Amino acid sequence: MTSEIIQKYLSNEASEQEVQALFEWIEASEDNKKQFVTAKKAWVLSGLSEDILSDSVPLIQMKPKNRLKQYLSYAAVFLVLIGLGKTILLFTDTSKTSKEIVLEMGDGRLEYFSGKNQTTLVNDKGDLVAKKFPDEIIYFGKTAADKVVYNTLTIPYGKRFKLRLSDGTIVSLNAGSSLRYPEQFSNNGNRNVYLTGEAFFEVAKDKEHPFIVNANQVDIKVLGTKFNVSAYPENPTVNSTLIEGSIQMSETANPSNVILLEPNQMATWQNNAKKITLKNVDVSLYSAWTKGELAFKDTPFSTIAKIIQRTYDVEIINQNSDLARQNFTGTINISESSVENILDLLKRDTPFNYSIEHKTITITNPR
Amino acid sequence: MNNNTSFELNLFKSFKEGDETAFKFFYDKYFRRIQSFSVQFIYDQEEAENLAQEALLHLWQNRESVESINGIQAFLFTYAKSKCLNLIRHNKVKDKFKNDLLNHKERELDIEVLNSLQFDTLELTELERIIQESINDLPPKTREVFIKKRFENKKNAEIAEEMEVTLKAVEAHMTKALKILKTKLSDYLFLIFILIYNN
Repeated sequence: MTSEIIQKYLSNEASEQEVQALFEWIEASEDNKKQFVTAKKAWVLSGLSEDILSDSVPLIQMKPKNRLKQYLSYAAVFLVLIGLGKTILLFTDTSKTSKEIVLEMGDGRLEYFSGKNQTTLVNDKGDLVAKKFPDEIIYFGKTAADKVVYNTLTIPYGKRFKLRLSDGTIVSLNAGSSLRYPEQFSNNGNRNVYLTGEAFFEVAKDKEHPFIVNANQVDIKVLGTKFNVSAYPENPTVNSTLIEGSIQMSETANPSNVILLEPNQMATWQNNAKKITLKNVDVSLYSAWTKGELAFKDTPFSTIAKIIQRTYDVEIINQNSDLARQNFTGTINISESSVENILDLLKRDTPFNYSIEHKTITITNPR
Repeated sequence: MNNNTSFELNLFKSFKEGDETAFKFFYDKYFRRIQSFSVQFIYDQEEAENLAQEALLHLWQNRESVESINGIQAFLFTYAKSKCLNLIRHNKVKDKFKNDLLNHKERELDIEVLNSLQFDTLELTELERIIQESINDLPPKTREVFIKKRFENKKNAEIAEEMEVTLKAVEAHMTKALKILKTKLSDYLFLIFILIYNN
């Protein structure tokens, strides 16, 4: 009862009688008074951070379609899929050749990352340039480079990979991505890399040589920082999310079209409008994949489906228009969940049927 | 912890050197925050705006004394705090209630709240982080209600209508939000107290 009056009082909605009652309660004990003072403090201080306001998009846009589902949409908005069992192995017969991580070297040689052993990588002159592990490659920045030789690393759907470049920059590459980068950065000029897909960068500090990620039609310029870039060719946008430090995103063809990011902001380039927009985001959502998780916050199913396709290397055909319009919030542990686990959970909120044939999942209306 | 971009640090440098454009940036960044802080003690929107303007002018005139970028916020809130205290103590705050005793009691309590707020640089930076996190962590509906209320100044009835819930539900969300914030912040304020005490 009292806390209701306190909140009314703080937001200036309490009547004089209510205030009178409240003040009598406050005077009744020292502890009551302390409680009130802390409440007012919390209220006053919560106005400190105006940044919250710019991020105040409505969080639940999921409208229950009937009363039966009302409870479920509240309960299932937050889906936490932790270790629901690693039961069904959907995709046992992955064809070997196209599904491997491939490194194309400057001279055209191809290296595959399939073996369990670590091996070394030498350049065309026979110098040791990197160490190769099954899910990681580490370059040494030792050899002096007179000319810059570019390598291209391609990660298929269903896999992720880590790369340490010759300057010490660490790049995590998400499923279905490809990065073109120099075997050894040159000592003068910028450090340029080219990205298709999604990657998380932890750029080694080097003020003399700005690090530039070329992605689709934008360049992302940094000095030393942590950020995520998502530039999948099937998406109409390039998103870059800054965790720490400072970066700027600019249109490659028109460098004066530029935006500077602060930590916890995401810049979005729109292919069609050729515009860059900025908003505040919860950055943990955009870097969750580097920790083996998929995190969604009010994310439309269409986006979730694309992410599932890449992460689990499947194809999803959705013929259910209700589901297409639905938004979900939650976290999924990639290695501990299967596509079926995820679909079964989503089904509990928005009923649908699905069938799986080989790697193709077809979603239909509930029968 | 350092949230400032090199962009802001450069602005701060220019601000110190007397660059008005750089000052304008900090003016825009803090005006509403100071105003929204002050209005909770002086209960007059216009007066609170004047106060915010005064605080920022004071900052501009004393820019030499601000040593770091985080110092700006501390400077402004310390000013706002003492200004609010002055106004209350000199009875310059408009009466809110018909009952004089109630007005008097409210001022006493406000003085107590203000006195318990210490705005040093470190505390403010940390506080801001904690507050932002706490608000972000609120359950989605509760957060929505809280933001509408605190930042958009909406009445319970308006919020109930917008969100298609009952008035009771709005009140319950607010109570919950306040309870969570109160707990998180009081934990934090307690910690600060320990820190000061041990030094």
